[in-house]
Amino acid sequence: MLDHILSILIFFPALAAVLGFIVHKDSMRAYGIIVATVEFILSLWLWYAFDNNIAGMQFLEQVNLVPAFGISYLVGVDGISLFIIIMASFFTMLGIATLTETRRIKDLIITLLFLQMTMVGVFAALDAILFYVFWELSLVPMLLIIGIWGGPLRIYASVKFFLYTFAGSLVMLVGMLFMAYYYYQATAMMAPNGIGTWSFSLLDWYRLRLDVDLQWWLFVAFFFGFAIKVPMFPFHTWLPYAHGQAPTIGSVILAAVLLKMGTYAFIRFSLPLFPDASVALMYPVAILAIIMIIYTAMVAYAQKDIKQVVAYSSVSHMGVIILGTFALNVEGITGSVFLMIAHGVVSGALFLLVGVIYDRRHTKLMSEFGGLAHIMPKYATIFGIMMMASVGLPLTINFVGEFLSLLGFYKQSHMMTLLAGTAIIVGAIYMLAAYKKMFFGEVTKEENKNLKDINKTELLGLIPLTIIAIWLGIYPKPVLEPINNSVEVLVQLMHEKAITEEAKSVIPSIVKFETQEAH
Amino acid sequence: MLEAVNVSFASLNVATLMPMTIAIIGALAIIVIDLIKGGLDKSLYVMIAMLFLLLDLGAVMGSANVFAANGTQLGFFDVMLIDGLAVLGQIIIVVASMMFIPLALTSKRFHEFSYPEFFALFLFMIAGFQFMVASDNLILIFVGLETASLALYPMIALHNRSKSFEAAVKYFTMGALAAGLFAFGSMVLYALTGSIEIHQIAGVLAADGYANMGYVLVGTLFLLAAFAFKLSLVPFHTWTPDVYEGSSAALAGYMSIVPKIAAFIVAMRLFEFLIHSGVIWLEVVLYAMVVITMTMANIWAIVQTDVKRMLAYSSVSHAGFVMAAVLIGTTQANTGLFLYWILFSFANLGAFTMLWVSRQKVLLPGQSSDHPFEKFSGMFQTSPIQATLMALFMLTLAGLPPFALFWGKLYLIGAAVSGGFTVLALIMALNSAVAGYYYIKLIVFMFMKDPVNAEGRDYLVNASTSLKTIIGMAAFASLFLFLAVSPLIEFIGSFVYNSGY
Repeated sequence: MLDHILSILIFFPALAAVLGFIVHKDSMRAYGIIVATVEFILSLWLWYAFDNNIAGMQFLEQVNLVPAFGISYLVGVDGISLFIIIMASFFTMLGIATLTETRRIKDLIITLLFLQMTMVGVFAALDAILFYVFWELSLVPMLLIIGIWGGPLRIYASVKFFLYTFAGSLVMLVGMLFMAYYYYQATAMMAPNGIGTWSFSLLDWYRLRLDVDLQWWLFVAFFFGFAIKVPMFPFHTWLPYAHGQAPTIGSVILAAVLLKMGTYAFIRFSLPLFPDASVALMYPVAILAIIMIIYTAMVAYAQKDIKQVVAYSSVSHMGVIILGTFALNVEGITGSVFLMIAHGVVSGALFLLVGVIYDRRHTKLMSEFGGLAHIMPKYATIFGIMMMASVGLPLTINFVGEFLSLLGFYKQSHMMTLLAGTAIIVGAIYMLAAYKKMFFGEVTKEENKNLKDINKTELLGLIPLTIIAIWLGIYPKPVLEPINNSVEVLVQLMHEKAITEEAKSVIPSIVKFETQEAH
Repeated sequence: MLEAVNVSFASLNVATLMPMTIAIIGALAIIVIDLIKGGLDKSLYVMIAMLFLLLDLGAVMGSANVFAANGTQLGFFDVMLIDGLAVLGQIIIVVASMMFIPLALTSKRFHEFSYPEFFALFLFMIAGFQFMVASDNLILIFVGLETASLALYPMIALHNRSKSFEAAVKYFTMGALAAGLFAFGSMVLYALTGSIEIHQIAGVLAADGYANMGYVLVGTLFLLAAFAFKLSLVPFHTWTPDVYEGSSAALAGYMSIVPKIAAFIVAMRLFEFLIHSGVIWLEVVLYAMVVITMTMANIWAIVQTDVKRMLAYSSVSHAGFVMAAVLIGTTQANTGLFLYWILFSFANLGAFTMLWVSRQKVLLPGQSSDHPFEKFSGMFQTSPIQATLMALFMLTLAGLPPFALFWGKLYLIGAAVSGGFTVLALIMALNSAVAGYYYIKLIVFMFMKDPVNAEGRDYLVNASTSLKTIIGMAAFASLFLFLAVSPLIEFIGSFVYNSGY
């Protein structure tokens, strides 16, 4: 069973979703929780069975799908994808467990389970087409979640979300086809009979060395797909609508997992495939990331709606992830992968917290609140911890990731790291200001006086997140170590594949591997 | 004194004519049965047509075997040409026809199906299309094309609504114009080369090094226009939405598949040697036509308020997409053309059949056309299974992976990339994104809006077991055909490659 654990992880939720059509709608939530819990336990088992000493891909499975065109079902995990997969199953479980939605609950849970399949699939896929299949397929459940259970502008928001990402990823598809064709040409040159083979396998692609010019073009093509998903400035405009209109569960999954697809894909595709282009475009991308960090932090400060504050702050932190990724060294990339987990935990929790208050008051305007700390002390405490984690207080989960990301980029540019660092201060400002408006001062609104504090179901979702946020802040090693091992392999691969001297000097070689080779 | 022509029977190679003959015999049999005993039920005629189509398919498979063993077959004074394209084309034509003809078995009575002549015309039409793909003789292509078209016009008109008459007359007028253009174009090429067979035309033109380029241009331009009419490429597409709207959904779906594959094959035979011989301007014209067709049709489709008209424009866009294969002209592209069209026909079959089963004989109050978007508003709440199926077909048509059509798109865009048409590949990809909008629009209506005027609404009003079976088959194909993509590519690829395309 362990040989096929990834396939089970991918298809178990989908199968359960199909069977779910038969379950009665009153029992659907229990069914959803059970399925998601089983999936989560399976993903923990994956972690347990995962060998930290192997830095490469593990649990590989391969089935040829279209051999004539080099497409196969190829999945595997390494330290980079392992924790994102666990996070995806964790948040689906939490999301279903804390679900307060009552309309068409059965459809919602079936949609969520399908979404889970696509999420796990994206992070496990090692074949570009398989990756693309799950990547695109994830749009449909999200379209439905926003479009059916969302706010008043839901249709506009969901269609905008769909079209934006769909357009971007089709450009990426052309890039993928070009890569596969390049592989075909390369193998044709090597083969004695001059007939090449197509391949979409990432493991095959990793062996290719591309001309610098070609790297540029392909980098840009892939960039469109990934940057829209992240979303990077200036492609971020769909996100505030999506978050603003999505129901709580939609925002949680979107922020915690779906956005990570973009940053993960940068690390999985762009960096190792196009090392020279990555080096050459490091500063342009970093500038976009810094604009994104500072600009969205300022926008967040100007928001009146607490959910929008969280949404923009989430975009701002995504900028730090991009910055860490494009530090192109082990510290930066490890930090950015860790920050993906951290960002997932923190922003997921914050969206859940916003959902809690929205369920009670049906408004998200901060001006409607004030003095909530007196009425809902537990809620205020958890919100406070999560907000501190979000601004990157030391000993919280975000701090580790942000620190490593910035440290990594500090080696490339002091000035730009400094700029990005100021955004953390701005982040503290808008978060604290929002917190002040909502929780401190006098209770001004009559409706707020009788609000119930957080209930058991909600605690069930929030307590684990709080524990993780603190635990991994204090002791990040269990997660950091496997990530670090895989990132070292990645950076070494980039160093070896780089063509230009400049790129070789920017991307450090890992000492460990060199000594091994010497033996 | 005329010389006596001695023809040995064997040299005629009658086997090449076998499939069409079966279809024609079937058509005649239907007429004869009607003469002997009138008033028989339509189900009988549907099944007779099915049987003859099965025999037809068997004969096509027979010629496929002959082709696989002995290569290209000529027959009837070299008028018939059975190569891989002809075989593939005939398989698609006959199989698609077999999938569409049971759509006549609706639970409600429709005017046209009460006439046995409808089914006779249907088989005549198929024979016409088969002749069209199985020849490289311009005259026989012309005859095949006209046979098929002249059978199709009355079939549209038999739907017996004022819009159907309009559609039939419009189609007839446009078709007549296209026929004229075709005849004129062939005439110019004949005057230039003294031959009406495409491979001889190619040979003569190559031998004199395209000396009379001006005339070649004129001839090809007219032929291109003629096929652009049949393939509904912009700017010769104007008839398409009106004709689709006027015909029954079943026939509209049929028209979006079968006549076009026949025209694609002829276009492939005709234009590829011209492109390969370096007639640059043709490449430019085709390039522009492909891009404009894809893009404009997509934009028009966005603003439609009727689902059938939307699907009409979308089929125009798909035709433009596939025409890119003719432009690229590599073996991979031509394989992609067939692959795409096979996958497309299943998705389109499903979508049009869904419209067809929901077709009410009398329009509800406040409804201006048969299938406005509002009709499907909130469909998921009242009939979830039908809505899910319809959504599946829409997502398939949009090219969302892993549904069937995605693999066709993938293969064709891949062919564009490997053929050196990177910009075209990008345009094709972006157009798929634009197309996403109008397919999603229907899903938005079905899933996210609330029902409007739902009283008396029945999305299965027309359904019978056979129609449901067809929908199920199309859904199954859309979901799982990706497993068959690899064998399909190999099967198609060998036929295409061995025919020299």
